[in-house]
Amino acid sequence: MDVGEGSSKNVTESSEIPTIQVGHTLLLRLPSNEIKTLRLEKDSSISLGKFGSFFSNELVGQPYGLSYNIVDKKLKVLPPKTLQEVEDTDATNELISDGQAVQPLKTDEIEKLKKSGVAAEEIIKMQIEQHANFSLKTEYSKEKYKKRKEAKFSKSFSVVVPTLFNVCEYWFNKDSSRLRDIRIDSLSQILNLASIRPGGRYLAVDDASGIVVAGILERLGGRGRLITICDVESPPAYPCVTHMNFKKETTALLSSLNWATADEEYTPIVPPSEPASGKYRSDAQKSRMNKRKMLNTALNKTREELFAGEFDGLIVASQYEPFEILEKLTAYLAGSASIVVHGPNVQIVTNLQARLREIPTYLAPAVSEPWLRRYQILPMRTHPMMNTSGSGGFILHTIKVYDDPKASSVVAHRLKVKKARVESDMSTTPTPSLQDSSEPPVVESKPVDIKVSSCEE
Amino acid sequence: MWSTARTVAEGDLVIVWLTRDVIQPLVITSGKELNTKFGYYRHEDLIGVPYGSKIGSRNGKGFIHLLRPTPELWTLALPHRTQILYLADIAFVTSWLDIKPGSRVIEAGTGSGSFSHSTARTIGPTGHLWSYEFHETRASKAKEEFTRHGMSDTVTLTHRNVCKDGFTVTDTVDAVFLDLPAPWEAIPHAKTALRKDRITRICCFSPCMEQVQRTVTALNDAGFTEITMYESLIRPHQVETLDSLPSIRVANVQLKESEARREAKRLRQIASAHRDGLTSSSSGGGKRKRGDDTTPITDLQQPKAENSTLEVAEDRIPEKRMKTEQEENVEISNSQTPLSKAEDIVIAVDSITPNDSSSSESHQPINVSKAFPEVRGHTSYLTFAVLLPPNYIPSTTTSAAVTSTEATPEVDTTTS
Repeated sequence: MDVGEGSSKNVTESSEIPTIQVGHTLLLRLPSNEIKTLRLEKDSSISLGKFGSFFSNELVGQPYGLSYNIVDKKLKVLPPKTLQEVEDTDATNELISDGQAVQPLKTDEIEKLKKSGVAAEEIIKMQIEQHANFSLKTEYSKEKYKKRKEAKFSKSFSVVVPTLFNVCEYWFNKDSSRLRDIRIDSLSQILNLASIRPGGRYLAVDDASGIVVAGILERLGGRGRLITICDVESPPAYPCVTHMNFKKETTALLSSLNWATADEEYTPIVPPSEPASGKYRSDAQKSRMNKRKMLNTALNKTREELFAGEFDGLIVASQYEPFEILEKLTAYLAGSASIVVHGPNVQIVTNLQARLREIPTYLAPAVSEPWLRRYQILPMRTHPMMNTSGSGGFILHTIKVYDDPKASSVVAHRLKVKKARVESDMSTTPTPSLQDSSEPPVVESKPVDIKVSSCEE
Repeated sequence: MWSTARTVAEGDLVIVWLTRDVIQPLVITSGKELNTKFGYYRHEDLIGVPYGSKIGSRNGKGFIHLLRPTPELWTLALPHRTQILYLADIAFVTSWLDIKPGSRVIEAGTGSGSFSHSTARTIGPTGHLWSYEFHETRASKAKEEFTRHGMSDTVTLTHRNVCKDGFTVTDTVDAVFLDLPAPWEAIPHAKTALRKDRITRICCFSPCMEQVQRTVTALNDAGFTEITMYESLIRPHQVETLDSLPSIRVANVQLKESEARREAKRLRQIASAHRDGLTSSSSGGGKRKRGDDTTPITDLQQPKAENSTLEVAEDRIPEKRMKTEQEENVEISNSQTPLSKAEDIVIAVDSITPNDSSSSESHQPINVSKAFPEVRGHTSYLTFAVLLPPNYIPSTTTSAAVTSTEATPEVDTTTS
């Protein structure tokens, strides 16, 4: 038994610490809990509106995930916020009536204070001091009040770490329809079901802003291959990938074909990469032609790669008819490859399942729905969030298998035996049907299906 | 980890898929046989066959599918030593903890190795997993299994009670996953094991809310922040193909038909009783004779009642298409003759039934789905938190973090 340090010696030494760099696309969480996204430029000023502005260089070289206060356009790291125990008191809202004017400090006066450079904490303190009913509030309510005011006046922000989780959550909260309802739990399940691993080779159809592509590239970690099929002429913009701030070697694994260039029958029409005269008119033309040549070669290589097949998995999150996509791409998958299809509507996924289960190439297609619930975690105030996402879409998972029409099912076998028995009962002569191998099996590939339907009932 | 070759070889671990509910692991060993209720198979016959193949049994009693193992299939096929983690939780935890190729992860306890296999796959050969199990037999079984699955380089398994003795590494890992009865006891040790040069993450997996509360307090005391909690489940759906839904028009026609039949029977009975009264009272059973119906109805009330019933019936189905309407008219015109026979009515109604259903266009089969009646309703609460790199954070009186390292320099504002 291995005790002690284990095989930590096998571990490659401390990879470089990921830090914020010029050119990264950042997600900044504001006190209001809104997220602002921006590309970090050198020597510029970043404005967060009423939450202040600061010099961009302040962030360069910082690790992701810290919170800052803005003081004179400079950043001061904030200590992490810990949970504060709230003392329970007898206070209730019994004597607090709605609509009563309790705050003598007026908006314009607060604005004046802000302009004169009074710190947020000071303003909040003043507001509390002048609040008519503050002392009547429960401790919970007091804390809520302070928090609300902080969200309004404090000049601070934090840099969201660009993990797959955070990037997916940001996009999902911003516009779930652009992600085709791929919530982070859905995405996690998709990536696991497709068994994405470093070194694997995958196909994907991603009309979900590139969140699937981002997930696959992240899990490949710079080793393996990803070919996506898209519906645009030039390589598609996968905006989610931008937020991951991947290194070059990570994104280099991705190549894209479109529904025309992914067609084996089709010969892509490409502009000539050699001058008609056989001579370059200028250096500019030469470099243009060389560029074209490289693109054409790359395109042909990707096509050949796709057509050679033996990919380890396929993920589809597309607006196009999924059955057609599978019909087209399943041929390029290796045996036992996982196929995962996500869709925002149960009907589409359901219809796909009904069609796939008739085809022996698809093993046991199953439909499932991810379900997620987040909780508020506060001392004595733990409960599920009052508002939550209603749907993360629907997932179909199946495995590509090679059918063998000669492999008869147990049902066919029973029918055969029964038939033979009945026949031998009727006539004393032995029936040849049991041994007759030329006789086609009565039922093909049914027992699994039967099993499937029986366990679904 | 497992074979990535196209075909099955001697010594490979394969997943034998019998049905959706019967999935078992198998190590290919020449000379051995596999006996199932779906026939028997010789291991030799499986060597050289491509992964994903359907194999017919030698005795024709069925077939199997030979699949390449994945952590997800392994989770369905593995021998249970403990309650295991399933896809929904494993996948979600992997994402939240930012486990990816190259990650260094701690897991305690190992249990049946469901999470270990998934993590080993995801971190790949450049990552490392330290797995701890306090139950000696389970630990040695898991160790054997990891070796057999070619995971020894990626996974270090240690038999140890981490709550008492802590972990074997310091300032090393990116993420800690605690699936322990009392995770709060291991949290200070986890903090020691987590690396301090970057943001790191922890997840505690507990089925009970009381455990969560103690965990949250321990995390807070140890200086973890952004404490949050989730529940993640999968609702499996069953898909059925329905042969279109029954139409109320069919029900309507059937009801009319049975109503008319009942009415006809009543009329026959009245007629028969009437005739019996006229002739003799001793013709028992005579009322059932067919010939009876030929007797003209003399009771004046009968035709009236008949008319009104049919008029109501017509009112109920105003949206019928032309074709059926015409038939209806035939029917009605038949019945409108006050002296029509009861039998005619029955025939008329009968005749519209087949036409009605054949003219209905909505005869498309439809695929429907619904969640299974009984599903997994709870696995565990997933409590997450992050540990910020202490070297970058100014020490404060509020954070109990042991940042006794030099007075935090204000590097943050002076970094170029």
